Amino acid sequence: MGISIRILLLSIVLVCLSASPLTAEEKGAQTDALATIQEQIRELKEQMTRERRAYETKLQEMERRVETLSKKMAEKPEADPEKSLEGDIAQSTADAPSSGPETVWSSVGSAIQSMNPEIAVSIDTLYYNDNTENGVGEIIGQVGGFGHADSHEEDHGHAHYFDKGFNLRLVELYLGAAVDPYFTAYTTLGYHNGIFEVEEAVFQTTCLPAGFQVKGGKFLSDFSRINRQHPHEWDFVDRPLISALVFGSHGLLETGAQLSWLAPTPFHLLLGLEAAQGDNENTFNNIGGDHLPDHSGPRLLVGWLKCSPNLPNRHGLQMGLFGSSGKNQETDDGNEDGTEDHWLDGNSSFWGADFVYKYDAPKEHGQGDWIVQGEYLYRRIDLDVVGHDLNPALVGRSLVKNQDGFYIQGVYGFLPRWRSGLRWDMAGLTNEDRYPTGNWDDFGTSCRFSGMVDFSPSEFSRLRFQTSYGDWALADGNREDFWQVFVQAIVNIGAHGAHGF
Amino acid sequence: MKMDKSIGCSRLLWPVVIAFMATCLTWTSPRAEPIKIITSTTDMAAIARAVAGRHGVVGSICSGEEDPHFIQAKPSHMVMVRDADLWIRVGMDLEIGWEGPLLDGARNMDIRVGGARHLDASEKVMRLEVPAGRVTRAMGDVHPQGNPHYWLDPLNARIAAKSIANRLCRIEPKHAGDFRKNLVLFRESLDFRMFGKGLATKYGGARLWSLLLKGELDNFLKGLPKDGSPGNENLGGWLGRMKPFRGQKIVVYHGSWIYFTNRFDLVVIAEMEPKPGIPPSPSHLSRVIETMKAERVKAVIMEPYYNRKPADLAASRTGARVVICPLSVGGAPHIKDYLTLMDNMVDQISEALQTEFSQNKP
Repeated sequence: MGISIRILLLSIVLVCLSASPLTAEEKGAQTDALATIQEQIRELKEQMTRERRAYETKLQEMERRVETLSKKMAEKPEADPEKSLEGDIAQSTADAPSSGPETVWSSVGSAIQSMNPEIAVSIDTLYYNDNTENGVGEIIGQVGGFGHADSHEEDHGHAHYFDKGFNLRLVELYLGAAVDPYFTAYTTLGYHNGIFEVEEAVFQTTCLPAGFQVKGGKFLSDFSRINRQHPHEWDFVDRPLISALVFGSHGLLETGAQLSWLAPTPFHLLLGLEAAQGDNENTFNNIGGDHLPDHSGPRLLVGWLKCSPNLPNRHGLQMGLFGSSGKNQETDDGNEDGTEDHWLDGNSSFWGADFVYKYDAPKEHGQGDWIVQGEYLYRRIDLDVVGHDLNPALVGRSLVKNQDGFYIQGVYGFLPRWRSGLRWDMAGLTNEDRYPTGNWDDFGTSCRFSGMVDFSPSEFSRLRFQTSYGDWALADGNREDFWQVFVQAIVNIGAHGAHGF
Repeated sequence: MKMDKSIGCSRLLWPVVIAFMATCLTWTSPRAEPIKIITSTTDMAAIARAVAGRHGVVGSICSGEEDPHFIQAKPSHMVMVRDADLWIRVGMDLEIGWEGPLLDGARNMDIRVGGARHLDASEKVMRLEVPAGRVTRAMGDVHPQGNPHYWLDPLNARIAAKSIANRLCRIEPKHAGDFRKNLVLFRESLDFRMFGKGLATKYGGARLWSLLLKGELDNFLKGLPKDGSPGNENLGGWLGRMKPFRGQKIVVYHGSWIYFTNRFDLVVIAEMEPKPGIPPSPSHLSRVIETMKAERVKAVIMEPYYNRKPADLAASRTGARVVICPLSVGGAPHIKDYLTLMDNMVDQISEALQTEFSQNKP
């Protein structure tokens, strides 16, 4: 810019000079001046070309630089196409149609869900009928050898059996979650016959090494499959006869602690030991009071072992052995005048075995599947008379009761979502009571045959029809036979309750 | 005399004690054993096997013939998971019916959800059918996190392989180099099959995937000089073979195929199940048949473990073909790894779509 201005000025001067009228001297001086000006112009021109050249080289250099830069930029994604692919994946994931305000909703929803325990409710209702006069609930309290002959036990048995007609059998609310990295916990609250009670309330460890686990609280004993399952998981409406007679309508449900160990064997071997308070009215009873010693807990020990061989896929088998011993007390009203007149204190024990086999057929919705399971249980009650108002001579003598029983059942999926099953129950194959007086009774054997068909529209609902024929030996020596009909509906809402084996 | 006896006893006892202690020590001391990886399905097992290479022993809970939605968590499965160094699940609630009791029963703290050796292979994949809004069970088996059959999109297999490699590098850093090398090899062979060897070699699989994702692959291929030089040939591989069928309408039994149909541009016009997990009812089936007739659907695609009668009925009424296609590695004897799974799927589906109607029914 400066150069061009200077050239302009010079040329103006030149033009002015040449245009004015001049003398000879002036002309001589003018030519000199002209020569110097021409010189200056030449110099200027040379300077201009030099500078232009410098500019051009600079420009070329910059162009080269831009070119290499743009080349580099173009090459950059090729340097790591995996990185750019990841970017593209993230981009197209973000562009997915389901994003938008709903994503906010779902993330809020999942945040709420993740902070709260899993919640599930199972509603178990049924229509029940039988052809006895006063209901099977009354008969079950009179089965020979099981339960006490006294009247309050009958009432107790009756309260927990089904009424003829419609029954809200159980509404179960389940709440469960991981407590922290070290514990999980759950509780089930049951509503039944107008009472809302805590059925199970359990915490268990997740962090113990070497296959150990500790469980504490109130829980269903894990000694057998039927005992640890909740009623809505059963394949038949009602509890197997031997389980109902020995443990009552809740099964062996105790407050205590359990230590179990998964052995480091190449097959599944699980051993468990439970210590519990022993509050089962049928077998492990603690009455205390004026006439009986008040034993402090834990009054019951249960041990079990479960073993599963490694069968091919689709086949599953688990076999178990169990045994138990605990304190037991009874009171009796010998002359039936309405007041207790003798008291017994001692031990009860039970032992037995169970198994379950499952076959998962390669068809949809359970078609062709099999579940076969069974259990044998033997119970012995050994009590000493600690007080007797009617016959004090019997104090110190013993009452011994031996009872056993088993069930075996099979369930088969005959159509998608449809299953049918048969169950055979027997109780009292051994069934003798040896009294303190030296007398003894040998009660008969009770048996029951059940058939069921169920339909599961989905994993969360099930409709079941069951009929049973029972022929039971009562304590008075008579037998009573009857038919039962059950129509059951079970629905589950809330968290997906995945069931164990 | 008594002293002598006790010394004799201890002489006998010492070797026994030493032998016992030695056994204990060898039992507990870490051995240079391969990493034990247990996966929920065979597909994840196949990918893990490719990535872990000789450093891993891989097993899976489901066989390829079983429906992974409905697996019974057996005690023997718990033993497998107990001994695992890494648990890999498909995720997105596919295993929700059985994973909980399995991991609880295994008593292996590290493989529990959130543990260092628990890998959810879905964490980085591209999800489809993520429900927008509230999900209720009245909709059937809808997975709130989206359709979990994502491995049928080869790109997701590629992503899952990366997640697996990353996790393996973290838990076994001394073999990290090998895992990365195996990952590159797996990606390379997958990209060869997807796009054809020539294209994938010249331009790199990742670049082709990027172009495909952005919808620019067709234009890119058109722009290539058709001079017959290596690498400039037409689209090959699975994508090339499925290209003639883009936009074709098909019917599926269960909504398992969305990732495949989405990747290869097929259109699922109807499902045999009225709702996910609910078997076909007669009225729904007749609606499906009407749709098939109207849209001239050539193929009904279904997994081997569903009842094929409804599909056969629909096929016989419309002239369409029923394609019983394994969804998982091991679903047929010759499907031994991920690439043969996809090979087979492309084979079966393209074959069904290219044949003319078997009977000319309207």
